[in-house]
Amino acid sequence: MAQGTVAANPETFENLRGELRRGSLVLAVLSALRHEQYGYTLRKALAEHGMEIDEGTLYPLLRRLESQGLLASEWREQDKRNKRFYRLSKEGKEILKQLTAEWQSIDSSLRAVWREQGHGTDRPVPTRG
Amino acid sequence: MELIDRYLHAVKFWLPKAQAADIIAELGEDIHTQVDEQEHELGRELTSEETADLLRKRGRPVLVANHYLPQQYLIGPLFFPIYKFVLKIVALCCLVPWVSGWLALIVASGGRDFHGWVVRFGSMGSSLWSTAFLSAAVVTMVFAVLERAEAKSHFMETWDPRKLPPVRNPRKISRSCAAVELAVTLVFAVWWAVNLSSAVLDLPFARITLSGTWTYFFGGFLAVMLGSAALAAASLIDPHWTVRRATAKLLIDCAGAALFCWLLGVHIVAGIAAPDLTPIQAHELADAINLWAARVMPSGLIIGVIAAAVNVHRIRRLRMGDQGRAGTVNGQANGPTPYASPLP
Repeated sequence: MAQGTVAANPETFENLRGELRRGSLVLAVLSALRHEQYGYTLRKALAEHGMEIDEGTLYPLLRRLESQGLLASEWREQDKRNKRFYRLSKEGKEILKQLTAEWQSIDSSLRAVWREQGHGTDRPVPTRG
Repeated sequence: MELIDRYLHAVKFWLPKAQAADIIAELGEDIHTQVDEQEHELGRELTSEETADLLRKRGRPVLVANHYLPQQYLIGPLFFPIYKFVLKIVALCCLVPWVSGWLALIVASGGRDFHGWVVRFGSMGSSLWSTAFLSAAVVTMVFAVLERAEAKSHFMETWDPRKLPPVRNPRKISRSCAAVELAVTLVFAVWWAVNLSSAVLDLPFARITLSGTWTYFFGGFLAVMLGSAALAAASLIDPHWTVRRATAKLLIDCAGAALFCWLLGVHIVAGIAAPDLTPIQAHELADAINLWAARVMPSGLIIGVIAAAVNVHRIRRLRMGDQGRAGTVNGQANGPTPYASPLP
């Protein structure tokens, strides 16, 4: 190993990455539900945009957001099968606006911190090893 | 499809009754959509093995159901560190009397009856297990009750930083303790020098004659006492542990323990004379005292080893602290900070 490099523990990275992504799931789900979708298509749409989410996490999350009044749902028949369609409620739209602003604020704060570290760039500090 | 129905049924078992039907309908729909999609891609129906694989990837029914249940703890993260701390203390309180009792039985048996040790170890072990199990169960129940009470009243959120314990400096020696130690040691040393210089002890009820080796013990114990007094005096003047002082304490304690063990094993009582005892009875009494002293010797040895271990630990901690201070940069110590337990 070259002097000054530190080998990152892959397990630690995966845990932290999972934690980071879990924090952004609500925002991703609310954003995707600006247009009505049912669970399966929502999961696929998120996966296509790089936000993989397993069904064991998605469905309980959808129920929680609905119980908080951020989503509205409706059972409807499609392709000869009953499906539950979710969409943003009025309150959900307002919360999504606030969360998006919060996300942008976090993003700009982080960029400022990285700039202050003397890298003179918006990019995060590159990791080595 | 029968496999999917069985899977959904197993998930439903763990779900709250009020929501079970709704959750299962949605979950079933999701699984069937996934199966349809895969069958469409393959151009044929999924085999039983492929369906089983699909379900296996979704996880065990109980784990899937668990995602829909509210997060519940018997003892939550708030109380868990305190719970663990209390359990450790309880374990210590169970283990120490048990080990002491077992050692005492070994000593009492004269250290020869190996089979008896094993039998006693087994019988005492079962009583230790039941005591430990019961204690752990009581502690767990108390904390589970506290957890529920906290969830309702949030009493742990009310606290006063001014009631936190002061930071304990492990180098600091209490001056009052040093003063008491000095006074007691000096009084005892004077009493020792005045009353025990002779190998013949004239007591109101008997005359005890000690063996010729007593001279060494008398001088040795007096030296140990004077050493302890000197150490206590030094602590009174400068109440801080140093590596040198801790080493001196280790040597004094080891010398005291070695002398004590030697005294117990040397058959120190040469003879007893008492008006109420015949010469044969007096001889038997002297033998009995010497025998019991010899039996107690292993206990003395254990106490000596514990005292030495405590002193060695102190020296090690002081050395580590010194190294920490040697690495101090701009007044900021790199070594371990001697914070006390955060528990109020």
